[in-house]
Amino acid sequence: MNDYDEKWEEQINALLDGELSDSNAEALKTQATDDRDLARAIIEAYQLQKAMSSVRVERAPDSLRKRLRAIPREYRPARTLRILQPRWVMAAAVVPLVLVVASLMQPDTPSAEEIEQARQDLAIAFAYLDRVGQFTGREIETTVGSTMSDAIAGSVIRNLKTQYETSKEKEA
Amino acid sequence: MSRRYRQWVRQYQDQAWTVARYILKDAQEAEDATQEAFVKLWHNQDNIDPERVGPWLMKVTRNGCLDRLRRRKDNVEFDESYMSADDSGPLQGASNSETGLWLKRAIGRLKEPYRSLVVLRDINQHSYEEVAGMLELSLAQVKTYLHRARKQLREQLAEVRP
Repeated sequence: MNDYDEKWEEQINALLDGELSDSNAEALKTQATDDRDLARAIIEAYQLQKAMSSVRVERAPDSLRKRLRAIPREYRPARTLRILQPRWVMAAAVVPLVLVVASLMQPDTPSAEEIEQARQDLAIAFAYLDRVGQFTGREIETTVGSTMSDAIAGSVIRNLKTQYETSKEKEA
Repeated sequence: MSRRYRQWVRQYQDQAWTVARYILKDAQEAEDATQEAFVKLWHNQDNIDPERVGPWLMKVTRNGCLDRLRRRKDNVEFDESYMSADDSGPLQGASNSETGLWLKRAIGRLKEPYRSLVVLRDINQHSYEEVAGMLELSLAQVKTYLHRARKQLREQLAEVRP
């Protein structure tokens, strides 16, 4: 096929496809009046186009239609195995990890019940210390006299009480 | 999902079958190739642009058919029961259906990619752009190859139709 053929073939096909501009279509027809080969090629192209219109898309046979309809049933994805897909396995592995991390990140603050229990324990401890202080004071008094006992036992209890009250203020 | 697939089957089964039939020229093999293409469609339906399902399916069908042709040890040339028109004599006075049968045989004798081009463009009526995508050719190549294919058919038709 030489360049001459290629050029006219393109034009003829464009004419049949309705893609040739009016001016080019007119030029082609004008050329065809002087060129018998070109005129014959155009006529044959129209004949082919007409013949081609009788060749249509073929109806698929019933056996094939049945096979195509059966594909969703035959190739249904196995749902039970979907849970084993990597993305789901990854997700399942992440859940306990998140729980552990979340528990580790919880601030270590005592609950209200724990604080109340501690307060009661402290009160008992101070009551015990108070009694021990009084007992110690009596022992000192019997040994070295009342003036010294006040100076020693009194200052110890005062110091402890001050610390206790300071800690209560901080909690408040 | 299944409803969408069924709609695609209704829409494209005849076109895919036509492509397979012309390329393979064997009814049973064409059925198998068409089914394979639809199985691929079923498995890939979530990954395909719904607007491009037709061209995608034609491309997959054609590629499957070409693979089958390559695997054939002896190239079965033609299924005479399918296209039984006698192409030896002139078609003068022949009816449209006779001309059509002769033309089917002539299309079947074209070499690739000419045959696929004629089937996809002139029979299945896909656009040039879609055909270019299906055959992985440029638009210019599609047009050039198609007018060569049509020229061959035209010349053969002129010979039998004086």
